[in-house]
Amino acid sequence: MNLINNLLDLRSIRATKARLARKLGEPGYYTIVAGEMAFWLLAATIVVIGDNKSVAFLAAGLGLVCFMLAQWYQHDLKPLPPEDGSFNGRLSGDVLGRLPADLTVTPQRLWQALSTHWHMYFLMNHSLLFADSLRLGISDNPADLEPVLKTAAQLAEESGRQIIEPGHIIVAIQLHARGLQPVYNHLKFGSNDVKALGDWLNRILDMQDRELPFFGGIGRDWSNGFTPTLNRFGSNLSFAIEHSGAHFSTMAESPGVTAVQNSFAQGAKAVALIGPNGIGKTSHVYGLAQLLLEGNVVPTLQYSQIFGLNPSVIISSARRPGELEEIVLTLMGEAVQAGHVMLFLDDAPLFFSNGPGSVDLTQILLPVLQSGRVRLIMAMDASDYQRLRVHNSAFANLISPVMLSERPQAEIMDILEDGALGLEHQHNVIITYDALRECYRLSGRYDTENAYPGKALNLLEQALSHGNGGAITAESVQKAIEQSRGVKVAAAAGVEADELLHLEDTIHQRMINQTRAVKVVASALRRARAGVANPKRPIGSFLFLGPTGVGKTELAKAIAATYFKDETNMVRLDMSEYQHPDDVKRLLSNGADDNSLILAIRRQPFTVVLLDEIEKANPNILNLLLQMLDEGELTDSGGRRASFKDCIIICTSNAGADIIRQRIEQGEELESFEREFTDELISNGQFRPELLNRFDEIVLFRPLKPEELAQVVGLMVTGINKTLAVQNISVELTDAAIMKIVEVGNDPRLGARPMRRQLQRAVEDSIANRILMGQASAGDHIRLDVGDLAL
Amino acid sequence: MLAVAFIRWWYGAGWRNLAHNVQRRSQRTLDSFSVPTLLRTLFAPWKRIITAPGAGIDAHLKAIGDNAISRLVGFTVRLTVLVSAGLSLVVMMLAGVIQIALWPLLPIAAVGLIIGGLL
Repeated sequence: MNLINNLLDLRSIRATKARLARKLGEPGYYTIVAGEMAFWLLAATIVVIGDNKSVAFLAAGLGLVCFMLAQWYQHDLKPLPPEDGSFNGRLSGDVLGRLPADLTVTPQRLWQALSTHWHMYFLMNHSLLFADSLRLGISDNPADLEPVLKTAAQLAEESGRQIIEPGHIIVAIQLHARGLQPVYNHLKFGSNDVKALGDWLNRILDMQDRELPFFGGIGRDWSNGFTPTLNRFGSNLSFAIEHSGAHFSTMAESPGVTAVQNSFAQGAKAVALIGPNGIGKTSHVYGLAQLLLEGNVVPTLQYSQIFGLNPSVIISSARRPGELEEIVLTLMGEAVQAGHVMLFLDDAPLFFSNGPGSVDLTQILLPVLQSGRVRLIMAMDASDYQRLRVHNSAFANLISPVMLSERPQAEIMDILEDGALGLEHQHNVIITYDALRECYRLSGRYDTENAYPGKALNLLEQALSHGNGGAITAESVQKAIEQSRGVKVAAAAGVEADELLHLEDTIHQRMINQTRAVKVVASALRRARAGVANPKRPIGSFLFLGPTGVGKTELAKAIAATYFKDETNMVRLDMSEYQHPDDVKRLLSNGADDNSLILAIRRQPFTVVLLDEIEKANPNILNLLLQMLDEGELTDSGGRRASFKDCIIICTSNAGADIIRQRIEQGEELESFEREFTDELISNGQFRPELLNRFDEIVLFRPLKPEELAQVVGLMVTGINKTLAVQNISVELTDAAIMKIVEVGNDPRLGARPMRRQLQRAVEDSIANRILMGQASAGDHIRLDVGDLAL
Repeated sequence: MLAVAFIRWWYGAGWRNLAHNVQRRSQRTLDSFSVPTLLRTLFAPWKRIITAPGAGIDAHLKAIGDNAISRLVGFTVRLTVLVSAGLSLVVMMLAGVIQIALWPLLPIAAVGLIIGGLL
């Protein structure tokens, strides 16, 4: 007997039945049914036209045998119900039927036997793996089978399934196959992911097993009245569920739906579903509609149906004054007349406030609610509900609020998996499990305005257009978010990795000296792109200290240009304009304030935030800065969060600039007095220690020496040449001319800033005059010496 | 071995399965015809079409007459469906009982017919 550790018996009757079922298959079954029909027909024909009773008996007998065989196949061989609690008695016929009686079973052979089963296709396709390529990484030792089988039994137990399915076996083999570890490591696929994929499959099997909900039969709607106006301005959600085949069983069991039922059971006539965008307010109503159809609701709600009203359609249909009120009253009247109607106002605030595309109908709805003859469900977010309470307290008091909160991650992944199956079917693609995981992760990080599961589902839909060969992978999701949010989430590789490794060189092409400042900034950026930095804080945060005109702003621009590929990718605020406590409001405004930092970050979350002259800001603003640096986010005046986790935050200050200059002039190196200098800034009250400690780096900029200023002038001349390139004219300054400009413009207090002015006077004016006088034309190269400068 | 397995199933789980299916089909018939709902609303106006009584005795009498007609229409339609449901149920139950009764005889009948045919 091929009995493996008392678990697997391939010579048992159950295994033999499974093999017979597999051999017969559907073609065999239909052949038997066809034979049955033929024998019955033959018997009937002979009885009618012939007198050969023996043949008729034989045909009828064989017809009966075929009938019995067909019944046996359909109800026993094919489903192979579990027999007892033993492993063999619970193992699926799909597994047993694929194993010959004399096979010495090993994990590898079991894997091979199941390689064409749809569970294998599901699990492999959703992890972008190939069963055949993994086979050799699986043990071929019979002794390794027992732990696999035991794990499979445990997985079946955990999933609540009586039958040990092929999927449980496949997952168990993967979990025990040490040879597959390198492949999974390469794919960043852990054992939890393998199990999660198995759970996804389990849920599909559960859905397949679930009987279709029963929605009431032909007489259900005869107790309700006609609803022509409701049909015109809204949609019958109950009808939609019944006819679309889309069911909301998961949502129907959610605490939110239970809370709505409880509210109505306790006598509420209006319920407000309150939650942020994406939390699934509408899905909750669909879940309730399904429960109502099934009749699984509290007695007071039995036989009710839900009509969803579209405020935009209703409001846009009113063409004359007073018509809107008439329509709404007709709708309410019809709902009362039809009986057992619940009205769902999606985007309910459009009915409660006067403004573009909205109208205040609370005075019309108030008596309807007070009469208690129609039940209303409204969807809104917390701020809309708060506004309603403030402006229409009488109306708001009649509403029972149900606050919806985000579901745990496991439930959100379930919803994503369900959504993915629908999208796969619609778009004929495969969505891998790591794509779903990435949707959850990236939408959580980059979409702070919306809630789960909506934001993750939105991202998944966006990722559909970034598929590769019909597969939607984690990379597709990364590309989708990179495109929609302008952020970088994919690991740096190739050219970009090379650029990061040589970031200092790139920055120094436009920055003179400040080697230490460039180095610390470049290191921080490399850490961020390599994924080593704390993802819950900004990419980097720096305090640039030093005199004016030494390159603090230039370094910030250089970072924007090299890291974000655009020098203008920068939000720059002069903190000297934020000296009053009230200025906090401007900074956190969620309205159309041009100075709102929050709005700027929402528009462009992947950016350099440059806060100039930080020491001049009001202390309240510095407190905000602490939060920004610590948590990587701020909350706007409307209570919504904005993420700074993809920003590089740079604060500049001239505080202590004189001290830096004096000490450098005394011959000291920056590194030697950095610490002492920072302590001095704290002790003289210019900066609070908790603020300085929050920065990744405090970077001191040294004053520029004359020879460095000469290099700055050189860079400026390059800039002038870029401007003149349109006219095909170029300019060159002799060393003596450059040194002359430095000598005239040098002011230790202002650094390189006067150089721009000197260059304008000495070079740009000179060239402009030559062009106007016709002394310079296209193709000319102008060389300026000291004597040519208009100083 | 398989023959024994077949016989065990036929007189065991197979027979029970048949009885369960007959019961399920009957329940489905009741559900499809909405029998509980129709019984509950048997005398309700058809599609809730009712006339509100106006002022005056004539209007009042007219409303009573209209509403009685609405209820009569509703009653007639629902009763027709209920009768159909009852008939379907009876036929289905009868067929089910016969199936259950004949089921154990089928293997014997098959063997008898084949032997009868061969002899």
